[in-house]
Amino acid sequence: KSQHGSSGLVSLLVFVLALEAQALTPSHYLVASDVDRLQAVLSQPFTDLKSAYFSVVGLSKLGVSVADSNDACSFIKANVDSSSIEALFYAAEASQAISSCEIHVSNETRDSLHAAVSEDSTVSQIHQAVSALSSLGLPLASQEVVSALKARISKEDNVVAITLALQTASRLSQQAELGEILEEIEDLAARLDDLGGVYLQFEEGLEATALFVSAAYALSDHVDMEPPLKEDQVIQLVNSIFSKKSWDSLSEAFSVASAAAALSNNRFHKPVVVSAVGPATVSHSHPLLQLHVTDVLCQPLSSANVLVESATSVASKAAILSQTPFTLRDGIFELNFMASKPASGYYQFSVAVTGDSRLVANHVELKVKVSTKVAINNMDLSVVDKDQSIGTKTTRVEYPNKGKASFIADSHQNFAMTFQLVDETTGVELTPHQTFVRLHNQKTGQEVVFVAEPDSKNLYKFELDTAERKTEFDSISGTYALYLMVGDATLENPVLWNVADVVLKFPDEEAPSTVQSKNLYVPKPEIQHLFREPEKRPPTVLSNTFTALVLSPFLLLLILWFKLGANISNFSFSPSSVLFHVGHAAMLGLMYVYWTHLNMFQTLKYLAIIGSLTFLAGNRMLAQKAVKRYSLHHL
Amino acid sequence: MSSSVISVISRFLEEYNSSTSTKLKVVDAYLLYILLTGALQFLYCLLVGTFPFNSFLSGFISCVGSFILAVCLRIQINPQNKAEFLSTSPERAFADFLFAHTVLHLVAINFVG
Repeated sequence: KSQHGSSGLVSLLVFVLALEAQALTPSHYLVASDVDRLQAVLSQPFTDLKSAYFSVVGLSKLGVSVADSNDACSFIKANVDSSSIEALFYAAEASQAISSCEIHVSNETRDSLHAAVSEDSTVSQIHQAVSALSSLGLPLASQEVVSALKARISKEDNVVAITLALQTASRLSQQAELGEILEEIEDLAARLDDLGGVYLQFEEGLEATALFVSAAYALSDHVDMEPPLKEDQVIQLVNSIFSKKSWDSLSEAFSVASAAAALSNNRFHKPVVVSAVGPATVSHSHPLLQLHVTDVLCQPLSSANVLVESATSVASKAAILSQTPFTLRDGIFELNFMASKPASGYYQFSVAVTGDSRLVANHVELKVKVSTKVAINNMDLSVVDKDQSIGTKTTRVEYPNKGKASFIADSHQNFAMTFQLVDETTGVELTPHQTFVRLHNQKTGQEVVFVAEPDSKNLYKFELDTAERKTEFDSISGTYALYLMVGDATLENPVLWNVADVVLKFPDEEAPSTVQSKNLYVPKPEIQHLFREPEKRPPTVLSNTFTALVLSPFLLLLILWFKLGANISNFSFSPSSVLFHVGHAAMLGLMYVYWTHLNMFQTLKYLAIIGSLTFLAGNRMLAQKAVKRYSLHHL
Repeated sequence: MSSSVISVISRFLEEYNSSTSTKLKVVDAYLLYILLTGALQFLYCLLVGTFPFNSFLSGFISCVGSFILAVCLRIQINPQNKAEFLSTSPERAFADFLFAHTVLHLVAINFVG
């Protein structure tokens, strides 16, 4: 039994550590300008009692009082309509938020407010009545409210109604039985939609989510019981509510202000927002790493301790810092990172914010860049003979000067360049991402770029073999300006240095022509459309010959028939036979006309007419012939 | 060898001339005409090429179809075959021949282009 217990404990520990390692941090939060914008939206002049309520109460949630409180108070008093529960609610809540603004209500009004608390009113009406009574300092029967709310929740099972019920319950006496209503927080939280593990919100929208958050924390604080929301869920709610930085309506802005106030000042959860001031970059000129560590309303957590748990180099995985605290100055937490003399590159910081047990998302990962300035040392240029018979002559050039004499290299020689790149302050050798050698022919505008590579001792070498590289240069000889280009994300001073001029002589030179820059945007040659060529036909003579040839058997047929003695002496000249022959001839003629002029439909039409006539006539004629033959044979 | 072939052929021709009625000989002459026409069309196609192919097909199929229909007519009007064609009189055969030709010509003219 004890073995099971210990293995369970170990797996639980591993699980908790795993959770801790992947804790969510807010990706959407309000910055100072957003809070100012929210305040500006809520400070708009009042149009009616409802907008006055949103403005006054919203600003009080942000910790700001309304501009002219006397003006606001008289506006509220002037616009309150004692017969409307809603108006009384707005007036009561708004006057509560303004100091020394009191509204007096008559006994009838008070009774109507009490009457509104019943199972027959909607949750919204109950909420407004209870809030008004509470803000006006009038007594109310909490247990009646609870039972009315319970009855209404079962009938109105939507998110907005239950949120209002939670908000109402937070105004009741602590002795009332609020347990069942408290359970609604968990049920509502289950209805939230998880979007990609980043957002948690109701499908009803931003306002509903924000009002839920403020109601849930209001009730939880009232009964002093932690709301059933996990830390990751709280951060996801923060992402949802504060992802929108400009608000469509006053009610939306009010709901965001409510939620922000609830999340920055409740007894259980306090989400922390850690962000770097400007880009997270340090260098010798700016050695301080500065962080904003604030709550969701962008107020610095002055009482917190901010600590670097570990800072490791991304490239070498070496730990530079461990358990180093930040110092607070003017609301910003600072650390002099350059004091630890880090090499240039990227560092992964693991920052912890402690000091308050309510803090949520208080472990943050940050990527910090350390920049430096590069210095170019020992730039040596030389022209080396390929057969190495003549000794090399090395010229040293100091940055940023240009080599005085030009270097001449023809096809028997190589041009060579060596140099070192070091950190200006520490002298450590650097290997930046971009080290290019550019040769630019000023006359033709041609440029060729090569890469200079470091050897094992971090000494950069560049060699130009004139004969080998002639294709890159198009064999155009002349004076080329040699530039060295050095760049990297961690360099503060990228370098473009005209080191010297190099005269290159290529063998087999063609007549130098200015390089045509490839202009892609000139009109292209026009394409002529080629119509389909008609097929080749045989010569007309051949066709005519064969036509005659093909028709010739007809002559043969006539001759044969003549020889056989076929005749038309039996032709009867009866009307049907005449009609038949005429019709038949007409059909053959129709075939010809079809070939030359008509289409199938017309032909079929004519054929139907002529054909039926011919058929009838032919039928008659053949019948007569049959009778004749029959009588002849049976005589 | 060749002499026996010639003697067979001459014998055949003699028999043909004597035993075939004139009416059938008329139809046979017609058959020969159709045959020659078709053969000449085919020869042209072999020599010159198939362009235009649809015309060649139309003409050739027309000849073949006519030949077949004429053979049917010959079979049907031959009095020696009367036993097999009790219900078909020669007039009826001829009427069928004409009707079939109408359809054949219609299709051929449609296809010749």
